[in-house]
Amino acid sequence: MNKINFASLNRKAILVGVLVTVALVFSIRLFQMQIINQQIYDEKSAGNSIKAIEQIPFRGVFYDRNLNLLVDNIPAYTLQITPADYDTSLNKTLDAVLDFNEGTVSNILMRNRIYSKYVPIRIKRGIDFKVVSWLEENYNYLPGVDYIVEMQRGYPFGVMGSHLFGYSKEISPKQYQQEKDYYRPGDYVGHNGIEKAYEKDLRGIKGFKYVLVDSKRKEIGRYKDGSVDRESIKGKDLVLSIDGYAQKTAEEEMKGKRGAVVAIEPSTGEILALVSSPEYDLNQFSYVTTKEFLDQIYNDPDNPLFNRATMSLKPPGSTFKILAALVALDMGVINANTVFHCGGGFTFGRFFKCHGSHGAVNVVHAIEKSCNTFFYNLIYKIGLNNLKRYALEFGFSKKTGIDIGEEAAGLIPDESYYEKIYGKNWPRSIMASLGIGQGEISVTPLQLAYFTAITANNGVSYKPHVVKGYLDNSTGNIIKYEFPVTKTSVKKEVFDIVKEGMFLVVNGRGTATHIRSNEFKIAGKTGTAQNPHGKDHALFIGFAPYENPKIAIAVVVENVGFGGTHAAPIAKKVIESYLLKGKSSNKKNQMFTQVMQTGEEIAD
Amino acid sequence: MRIDYNIKDKIDFYIVIPVILLISIGLVSIFSSTYNNPLAQNNFEKQLYFVVVSFFIFLILHFLPTNTFKIISAPSYIFGLLLLLLVLVIGKKVSGAKSWLGLGVFGFQPSEFAKIATILMLSNFLSRNNNNIDSIKDIIIALAIGFIPVALILLEPDMGTSIIFFFFILILLFWKGLSILWLVVVISPGVIALSAIFGTTAFIIALLLLLVILFLLNKDLFFNGSVFALNLGAGFFADYVYNILSPHQQARINSFIDPSSDPLGTGYNSIQAMVAVGSGGLFGKGFMSGNQTQLQYIPEQWTDFIFCAISEEFGFIGSITVVILFLLLLGRILRNASNTRDEFLSLTQIGIFAVLFIHFLINIGMVIGLIPIIGVPLPFVSYGGSSLLVNVIMIAIVSNIYRTRKNYT
Repeated sequence: MNKINFASLNRKAILVGVLVTVALVFSIRLFQMQIINQQIYDEKSAGNSIKAIEQIPFRGVFYDRNLNLLVDNIPAYTLQITPADYDTSLNKTLDAVLDFNEGTVSNILMRNRIYSKYVPIRIKRGIDFKVVSWLEENYNYLPGVDYIVEMQRGYPFGVMGSHLFGYSKEISPKQYQQEKDYYRPGDYVGHNGIEKAYEKDLRGIKGFKYVLVDSKRKEIGRYKDGSVDRESIKGKDLVLSIDGYAQKTAEEEMKGKRGAVVAIEPSTGEILALVSSPEYDLNQFSYVTTKEFLDQIYNDPDNPLFNRATMSLKPPGSTFKILAALVALDMGVINANTVFHCGGGFTFGRFFKCHGSHGAVNVVHAIEKSCNTFFYNLIYKIGLNNLKRYALEFGFSKKTGIDIGEEAAGLIPDESYYEKIYGKNWPRSIMASLGIGQGEISVTPLQLAYFTAITANNGVSYKPHVVKGYLDNSTGNIIKYEFPVTKTSVKKEVFDIVKEGMFLVVNGRGTATHIRSNEFKIAGKTGTAQNPHGKDHALFIGFAPYENPKIAIAVVVENVGFGGTHAAPIAKKVIESYLLKGKSSNKKNQMFTQVMQTGEEIAD
Repeated sequence: MRIDYNIKDKIDFYIVIPVILLISIGLVSIFSSTYNNPLAQNNFEKQLYFVVVSFFIFLILHFLPTNTFKIISAPSYIFGLLLLLLVLVIGKKVSGAKSWLGLGVFGFQPSEFAKIATILMLSNFLSRNNNNIDSIKDIIIALAIGFIPVALILLEPDMGTSIIFFFFILILLFWKGLSILWLVVVISPGVIALSAIFGTTAFIIALLLLLVILFLLNKDLFFNGSVFALNLGAGFFADYVYNILSPHQQARINSFIDPSSDPLGTGYNSIQAMVAVGSGGLFGKGFMSGNQTQLQYIPEQWTDFIFCAISEEFGFIGSITVVILFLLLLGRILRNASNTRDEFLSLTQIGIFAVLFIHFLINIGMVIGLIPIIGVPLPFVSYGGSSLLVNVIMIAIVSNIYRTRKNYT
C-alpha cells in the first residue's frame, strides 16, 4: 500500500491541480486588478503621490480715475509652523519673540490640529524684519519654524479710503461652507467695500503646482517637470471712478469731524470721492489685527466702522427744497413767476417760523434765500403722494444700488405712511416741515449726492458706482463695466429754473456766498438738519462748474450747526481739488496749492 | 548538433531558463526600486554579486556526485540546528525577529540553510526503508525532524519561515504516501491553531468539524479522542504563541481580517501593494516610472514586495510572465520528481518544489490581497543574498538529479 501511495499518479495529479489552480487564481486576480479595475487603482495611485499646491495669485490693485495707484500689494513676512517637525517646547520663546501673550502660539496650534501635521500653519502675518533675521540666525534651533513672503495691501497714494476700499481677512467658516469650490480654510477674502464687492475680479485665478510627494508627504520633485502646472492668474486691476485728489482732500477736510462726503460725476454716475468720517486705519485690518485695535475700534463712541456715506440717515434739511421746487414746477402747480409772501412764517394749524422776512419771493429767490415760507406753501400744493413719486425718481426712499457695501434706503413719507400712524384724519400740519426737509424724511449722504448729480445733469444719470472697470494689462485699455441709466420725467426747463436758484445761493446773495470761486461757478444749496439730541447737522449739496457740471457733491457734518458755515467750505475744497488737478503742468499745480491756501482763508 | 544534444542531456533547460529569467526580472526590479532610495543604494550591486556567486555554486553542485546529498543530509541537518540555536543567542534583530547572523558585510539567515538541510534529512528518513509510514513511531520521528527547526524558528520569532516549513513537511509526508487520516491528524493542529487566533467561535466550530471528519474516517474512539485532545492543546498553544508574538506580527494577522481598518498602520502595506499592482494596467508605467515604486510607498519593496514593482512598471504582461515562469519551473520540478524512482531523490525534489511553491503562493498572494501579509520573499526575484543562494542551491540539486537521472529511472 505504501509503495502504491508513494509518488502515486493520484498524488502527483493533486499537486499539479493545486499548482495550476493557484496560477489560475493569480492570473484571474491580476487580470481583474490590472485590466478591469486598473482605473480605480490608478486614481488611488495618482492621489497618493501627486499633490497639488495652490498658488495664490496677486490680488488686483486699485487705480484711481487718473491711473494713480491707490491700493497695491506689498510683501510681508509670515511666520509659520509645520507641526510635524515642530517642538512645542519652543512655544514660550515664540510667544516672547512675536510679542504674543503667553499661550498664544499653543492656542493657534490647538485650533489647527484638525489639519495634516505636514501642512504649515500661519502663526503671525506681518512680522517685522528683526524677527525675520532672528529666524534666519536661529534656523537650526527652530525645527518646523520658518517664514514665507506673502502680499499685503499698501496704500501708496496716502488715501485712507477705509469705507471705500475695505479690507481682506481670513474667510469665515460660514462663507467657506458656501464657497467651498474656490476657497480653502485660511484663504483671505475681501471683507468690506470694494475688496468685498469686487472679490471675484480681484482674487484672480488660483494656480496649481503639482509636486510629487513620498509616503511621508515630503516634496521630492515636480510632477511631469511642471508641464501640467497651472500658473495663477493675477486678479484684475480695478480702475476706480474715484479721483485720488478729491478723495484725499475730502478725507483731510473731514478729519476730526463726524459725517460724510460723496462726490459724483453727474454725466456718468461715477463716484469721485466717498468719505465717511471718522475713518480707521485699513493697515490695522490688513492681515495683522491686534486685539487692542479691535477693542478700541469697537468701543469708539463715534463708531468708525459705520459707513456714514451710505448708511447714516438724516433729514436733508433745506437741501430738500431743491426737490420740492423741481416737483412743483414740473407738476405745474407753480411756475417761475409764482410768488408767495414771506412775513417771517407760515400758519397752518400752528405757526411755522422762517429764518427771516423775505417778502414776495418766487422760486429762484426762495432757493437763493432758503425761504421756508415759500416751501411751506409749496408742499401743500404738491401733496405727499406726488412728492414721494418724484422722490423715488431721484433715488430717494430706496437703495441707490451703489456697487459697494451696505446701504440704507431712507424714507420719504407719503399719505399712507401717516394714515398708518394717525389714521385717516392725520394732522395735515405735519406736512409743513416736510417741505423744508425736516420731520420724518431721512436720506443718506449718497442719496443726496446722487440727487444732486441727476439734477445737475438735467434729470439723467447712471447708477452711482465707484469702479469704472479694470485695466487690461496686455493692451493698457480700460475695460469698462456697464451701469444702468437713471432718467427722470422732469422737464429740462424746470432744471434750468431750479439750478439758477442754486447758482444764486453761491453767486448771488444766498446762504453760501463765501464759497464763491473765481476759477469756476459753483451752484449749491445749504441745509441744516434739526437734531433733537444735540447740535444741528450741517449739509451742503452742490455742483460745478455751473455751465457744464463735472462734479456734484453732498457734504454732511454731524452736530456742528449751520450748513453754510460748516459743510459748504468742505464741498468747495473737494470741488477745487477735483477740477484743478486735471491741469497737470507744474504752473497749474502751484496754482492748485495757492487755491487750496486761499480756500482755507475763506473758510476761516 | 551532437554538442547540443549533450548539453540538453546534462542540463534541464525547463528548469534553468525560467530561473535565469526570474533572476533577471528580479535584478531589473531591484535596480528600479532601489535607485531612488538612499537606504538601499548598493542593493543592486550586492544582488549582482550574489548572482555571480550563485552561478559558481550552481556549477559546483550540478557536477557533484548525486549521492553526496544523501551523505551530507544528517551532518548538514545537525549543523543547521546548531546555527538556529546560535542565531537565538548572537543573532541580529531585523524588524522584530532575531533571524540574522552577521557574516562580515552580509547578513545570513540560518533558517534559509535549515530549509535545505531539513528537506534532505526528512527525505533521507522517509526513504530509509519501505516502512509503513502510517506507523505512529515513524510519523513522530518524521514530525520531530521537521518540527524541531520550526520550533527554533518560531522562537526568533519568524512566522513566515515557520509556515514554509510546516507546508513543505506536510507535502513531503503527502508524497511519501501518508494516509488521509494521518494527513488530517498532521494538518489539523495547524488549522485549529489558526482558528484559535481568529476567535473563540471559530475555534469551537473548527473543533466540531474536526470531530465529524475524524469519525467519518476512523471509528477508533481512543485514537479520535487522542487526536482531539492534541488539537485542543494546539489551539490553546496557538493562543499562547499569538500572545507572545511580536507586535508587528500580531498586527499583520489582525490587519488581514480588515486591512482598511487602519490604512496608515498595518493595513498600509497591503493597500499600497494592491494600488501599485492595479495601477500598472496592461503594459505598466514603464521601467523606472512607477510612482508607487519610485516614491517608496511600500517600505523595502525590493525584498518581499518586489512583485509590486514588476506589476506596476511592467503591468499585466510583466506580472503574468512571472506567474507563467513559476508555473513552468514548478511544473517541471514536479514532473522530474515524479519521474525519479529513487525515493530519497524524489522526495528531495518534492521538498524543493514545496518550498518554492509555498514562497510563490504566499508572496504573490499577499501582494495581490488574497492572503495576509507574511514576510516571505519571492524566490529568485526578491533582493536577498542568502535567500537567492539557497534557492539556487535547491535548483542545483534538482539539476544535478536531472543530470544523473538515467541512473535512477
